[in-house]
Amino acid sequence: MASDPSTEDITRLDFLVIGGGSGGLAGARRAAELGATTAVIESHRLGGTCVSKVMWNAAVHAEYLHDHSDYGFEAGQVHFSWETLKAKRDTYVSHLNRIYRNNLDKAKIQTIQGQARFTNDPEPTVEVNGKKYTAPHILIATGGYPSVLSEEEVPGAGLGITSDGFFELESLPKRSVVVGAGYIAVEMAGILSTLGSKTSLVIRQTGVLRNFDSLISTNCTKELQNSGVDLWKNSQVTSVKKIDDSLELTIATRDPEKKNDEEKISTIGQVDCLLWAIGRQPNTFGLNIGAIGVETDDRGHIVVDEFQNTSRPGVYAVGDVCGKALLTPVAIAAGRKLAHRLFEGKKDSKLDYSCIPTVVFSHPPIGTVGLTEEEAIKTRGKDNVKIYKTSFTPMYHALTSRKSQCLMKLVCVGKEEKVVGLHMQGLGCDEMLQGFAVAIKMGATKSDFDKTVAIHPTSSEEFVTMR
Amino acid sequence: MAALCRGRHRWKTYNFLKVLTRTLTGKYDYDLIVIGGGSGGLACSKEAAQLGQKVAVLDYVEPSAIGTKWGLGGTCVNVGCIPKKLMHQAALLGTAFKDAKKFGWQIPEALSHDWSTMAGGVQNYIKSLNWGHRVQLNDKKVKYLNMKGSLVDEHTVKGLTKAGKETTLTAKNIVIATGGRPKYPTNIPGAMEHGITSDDIFWLKKSPGKTLVVGASYVGLECAGFLTGIGLDTTIMVRSIALRGFDQQMAGLVTEYMEAYGTKFAWKCLPRRIDKLSSGALQVMWTDTHTGSEHQDTYDTVLWAVGRAPETKALGLVKLGMELNKETGKIIVGSDESTSVPNIYAFGDIGEGRPELTPTAIKAGRLLARRLAGQSSQLMNYDNVPTTVFTPLEYGCVGLSEEDAEKRYGKDGIEVYHAFYKPLEFTVAERDASQCYLKVVCERGENQKILGLHFTGPNAGEVTQGFALGFQCGATYWDLLNTVGIHPTCAEEVTKVHITKRSGLDATVTGC
Repeated sequence: MASDPSTEDITRLDFLVIGGGSGGLAGARRAAELGATTAVIESHRLGGTCVSKVMWNAAVHAEYLHDHSDYGFEAGQVHFSWETLKAKRDTYVSHLNRIYRNNLDKAKIQTIQGQARFTNDPEPTVEVNGKKYTAPHILIATGGYPSVLSEEEVPGAGLGITSDGFFELESLPKRSVVVGAGYIAVEMAGILSTLGSKTSLVIRQTGVLRNFDSLISTNCTKELQNSGVDLWKNSQVTSVKKIDDSLELTIATRDPEKKNDEEKISTIGQVDCLLWAIGRQPNTFGLNIGAIGVETDDRGHIVVDEFQNTSRPGVYAVGDVCGKALLTPVAIAAGRKLAHRLFEGKKDSKLDYSCIPTVVFSHPPIGTVGLTEEEAIKTRGKDNVKIYKTSFTPMYHALTSRKSQCLMKLVCVGKEEKVVGLHMQGLGCDEMLQGFAVAIKMGATKSDFDKTVAIHPTSSEEFVTMR
Repeated sequence: MAALCRGRHRWKTYNFLKVLTRTLTGKYDYDLIVIGGGSGGLACSKEAAQLGQKVAVLDYVEPSAIGTKWGLGGTCVNVGCIPKKLMHQAALLGTAFKDAKKFGWQIPEALSHDWSTMAGGVQNYIKSLNWGHRVQLNDKKVKYLNMKGSLVDEHTVKGLTKAGKETTLTAKNIVIATGGRPKYPTNIPGAMEHGITSDDIFWLKKSPGKTLVVGASYVGLECAGFLTGIGLDTTIMVRSIALRGFDQQMAGLVTEYMEAYGTKFAWKCLPRRIDKLSSGALQVMWTDTHTGSEHQDTYDTVLWAVGRAPETKALGLVKLGMELNKETGKIIVGSDESTSVPNIYAFGDIGEGRPELTPTAIKAGRLLARRLAGQSSQLMNYDNVPTTVFTPLEYGCVGLSEEDAEKRYGKDGIEVYHAFYKPLEFTVAERDASQCYLKVVCERGENQKILGLHFTGPNAGEVTQGFALGFQCGATYWDLLNTVGIHPTCAEEVTKVHITKRSGLDATVTGC
């Protein structure tokens, strides 16, 4: 029997946000600024944190330390303490959690700790810890979580960890195996290897980052191998066994080039850390969105239109739970645009999902925005696409025995050579991309690039002097 | 006096006839002679050769006062951008070393730096670039002559080798791209005898030790910056202000950081004399113009960074009647790099009013070559030139300073968005980020076109280039806001900036 809403104790708000990550908090804060009474429901910790970048910074230091003597510095043996780093990193994360908390309190946004669940009430209503909440506008921003393989698919899969588990590690694993070819796998393998763990990377095909431009995919695969990561191509982990204190992995390798369909079976033993980085899934666990008729796709992502509306009026979704452009700034931007649409009457307020710049914190880092060469050729035809490329050794390496390359590519279309894609890998590419993303979003052409005077000496100047 | 005039007139007539004959016969040794093998000269000569012109380039390095000399490539390659950036990098690595401890790296307490390892590496790299340039000129079929060039008339150049041998060359057009050299103060006893300049610092075989840098232009700040970074006791002596011509709020942040970082500043001080002591150390006496008091201290090295000037006398320009700026000695040039003498052009550092930057010289040189070859009429655009100062805390900028924008549009005509941000890498390292800052100066109103963009922080050079492109395309404040940020980086803060100076609100932004 349904309870009578008029007699029940239901808290009414203007805006209810489920999920206190990047997208949820940004939307909530902007809505509160615009005058909406807002509450955020979070089942774990507040704030989306970029711990991974802190780990990448530690690894970058490792590379610098190798270069020190080349630059004249005399230092003896250097050791790495994972414990020191973890302690400082955790302190920083707690500090950020507190800042988030304070920001919400200052904005008079109610924070509700607990697991949210949609009820069967006629109006969309959420129950948390036995209490009910409703609002004319409800935002689902529950994010995602790393995918795992079941015991049926790979016996012993549960003996491995995911990127969530990576940040719980108490010490640097001596021997690591990372499975996956996406940016998370690349970043994790890079960090572990550079900090001193003997690392293998197992990928199903022949290269990493297969959805990126082929220049990046090929080069990143090469750089990983050059940096000492043991790369297993055309391979899959078929089973995992625990032997004493460590793991033994069984790997099946099938070379598609070879005519006979035979598989080569190998093992990697004495593995301290098996890290699955095989994808992420939307987090709608326990939400009971079926009760309110919110449509999802076959992978469980919430389906939204360009304005972040779900199939149920009054219910919206942003961020990783939607499955499109899984990036913090995208979630933040979409959350804010939604707040302006709902509470400031800006009917057209929505996020433009084209030309979103991305950086992969590999060694060296990768920057990319816009279409890949392949995508441009597919949509505009080979005759309409012109490519500009360059590669060089950054001047930083003039004094070092260790070298890395910098690769850059511009994808241009049409007679006016409009730049629709920019791709690069090399030292400094992480900080280089942002400004170029502004110009490309504005519709810059190759001629605009040529007209811009270079800044010397930098790596970025190579983009404005390409021939 | 009259006789002199008559003599000159006769010489002019003689030259005119010679030129006339030559023009009529159309017989020149070269289509183009470039005097000066630096960033501008090399770019110009190679471009001209590629367009089918017969080109020669003359390059010669007059040794510095203490005898330092170098090979082909000009200031940038040998005694400017390149060695400065490499030594700046060495200094940054020293700081990174200290940060590394907080990131878990267990490093011995004592860290020392060896000058000769660094200088040796830098000098070897520069020599490889000298060689690379020689090879490139050869490949592009540009005739390279290691001779000191001077002008005889508008079609004739005289080349002088180190040994004293003279050669005369003729050309349809002549380009002067001889750049400049550091100035020595003229009125300070001991300045030239005991001090060095940026011509020398990168080529020293031994560490400069305790150093006094006189001058707070970017040359002075950058040198003092890397010397401090590699562990040397360094002081900068400033007559009035730092980074003259740059946005002064940003200049303040740069010097504040340097002071916190360990560089000593002697503000509003003027050196009076330098004496060499029997120990070999240098005794410097100076006046604090603020209080009027006299001071002295000893240093191992005194580095003059008090400005640069061209060597126009040796070029024979006065004789030719070429118009020069009396104060600076630089050549007065038109928007097409022409001088007051027909068929003779000048660009790069030697042009009056031109930015003293490698990329503008390169671009201007290439465009000039195309115009002289009759392939184009495009002029060099000297607006919207971005630049970066490679001090310990780097500063990148493009467009107008806030002061200049205020002057042009009025305080009420501009809107300044700003933010104090903290680079993520400073957090775990527990480093003070008080001077990491950015501001976007916009035209006030609906459009909010960006008039100037300023950024202090790590990798400022790499951050600024892309924004300079946006600036070139006429970006507005809204274009910045409509661009999704890249996370986590320092650059993204530019796309998130939203607090105006006008609001008076605290501009400190939190990260993630």
